[in-house]
Amino acid sequence: MKSELIFSGIGGQGTILMGKMACTAASKKGYNVTLSPAYGQEKRGGRASCQVVISEEIGSPIISEADTVLVMDEKSLKDYEGKVKSGGTLVINSSMISTKATRKDIKVVEIPFTEIATKVATAKSANMVALGAVVKSLDIITLDDAKEVLKIKMKPALVDANIKALEAGYNFVK
Amino acid sequence: MGDKVFMQGNEAFAEAAIRSGCKFFFGYPITPSSEIPEYYAKKAPSEGLTFIQAETEVSAFNMVAGVAATGKRGMTATSGPGFSLGCEAMSYMSAAGLPSVIVDCMRPGPADGEILGSQGDYNQLTKGGGHGDYNTIVLAPYSVQEYADFAPLAFDLAEKYRNPVVVASDGTIAKMMENVEFPEKIAPKGRSDWACDGINGRDHYNDITTCGDGPEQWEKYNLNLQSKYTKIRENEQRWEEIQTDDADILIVAFGSLSRVCLTAMRIARENGIKVGIIRPITLWPFPVKAFEKFADKDVKYFVTELNAGQMVNDVKLAVNDNKKVEFYGRLGGITPTPVELYKKLCELYK
Repeated sequence: MKSELIFSGIGGQGTILMGKMACTAASKKGYNVTLSPAYGQEKRGGRASCQVVISEEIGSPIISEADTVLVMDEKSLKDYEGKVKSGGTLVINSSMISTKATRKDIKVVEIPFTEIATKVATAKSANMVALGAVVKSLDIITLDDAKEVLKIKMKPALVDANIKALEAGYNFVK
Repeated sequence: MGDKVFMQGNEAFAEAAIRSGCKFFFGYPITPSSEIPEYYAKKAPSEGLTFIQAETEVSAFNMVAGVAATGKRGMTATSGPGFSLGCEAMSYMSAAGLPSVIVDCMRPGPADGEILGSQGDYNQLTKGGGHGDYNTIVLAPYSVQEYADFAPLAFDLAEKYRNPVVVASDGTIAKMMENVEFPEKIAPKGRSDWACDGINGRDHYNDITTCGDGPEQWEKYNLNLQSKYTKIRENEQRWEEIQTDDADILIVAFGSLSRVCLTAMRIARENGIKVGIIRPITLWPFPVKAFEKFADKDVKYFVTELNAGQMVNDVKLAVNDNKKVEFYGRLGGITPTPVELYKKLCELYK
């Protein structure tokens, strides 16, 4: 089994953190994982994206076409809509993106990450809502795998709120 | 060996170097190498390391030469622009037989260029770079695990041959995160017979010199260096062959791009084209031996690099112009996708 994912957004939105969490979850199950980050010099506000390859064998860190692409802002949609594999999934942060996707050969999921996060936790958990939505599109990582990683990676005080956010994102996708 | 850790390439190399007993780091920060000095600086207090941020790469490389002269393990890490500044010291360290380790996280040049993955320094690293007849061993990792594994290997080779060793990574391998398993920590080694570390139990002081006295002596000095390089060429060529047995087309690629080639090869095979890969691991000595067994076979070569065509010349020499050798390169920090490489391969060999 193999999964190729792209997470793209603005520095500070947690796009690379999401990639790392997906990698950690998959590597716990014995997969080879590779995360290639790309970011500007700015700590916050610059472009930030990562390509994640989860696979049984070692291969290219550079993705031709991704199974799932998550876009957190307008520019990411413009840059990466074309990178989704035919039949793949494009997850759109509709809290920040008003433009509609044009592709008809892919599954497009629009989710208001910030509004959902604010409802179940705080706005800061928007990226965990996003991760939940991405996990729903994958066979390789389950919701429980993602929860386990979250428990390890986050401060204990933040775990409950973020698990709620993760579940809300997962359950939003039909 | 311990558990696997999910870690960035540069940090994994730094951790492995510390575990290899390299207690001295001198450097000047430059993207995409800066996580190596950063990691050393962070670990310096708890691990008892010496970390110095030099005023330029010229100083940093010469500080490495200085610590190497005392027989201790020291290193620096930089990118192309910094490596150019260090080339004077590379020449002197080579002449003086100083075992040191230098990481070059290549970025596309010339000049400042970009900060993404590139292999534009191949010629500089393998053909000298500095002045005079000298060579340094060059190791090119293609994964975070191999990057880390090359830390102890680089120091061992440097000491075995008393020669600088360069680890040639790039923006992709440096920043990439993968699972890595580290070797056990080793204690810094004891005294070297030749080192300038005071009397240290000997009956004489050692001298390190780069000078012959007059042309005859200087020629002899050079011939000694050349015989060392011959020995390294005989003993240290390293490469990996992937699905080469039945291959009609052999891709030759190293470092980050060889990873892309793995997937391109799988796509080609799914489409009925028998492709294999020769992956040079030592860029110098170039693994000419890898090509010998295909001399009598009907194979064609496809060389791909993140530069305008540098290693391709070594491939052409290795096959004595007896085989078709095609080249495809990308510049400026662009790494082709596996599909792009596959299509190019089909276009060139249709």
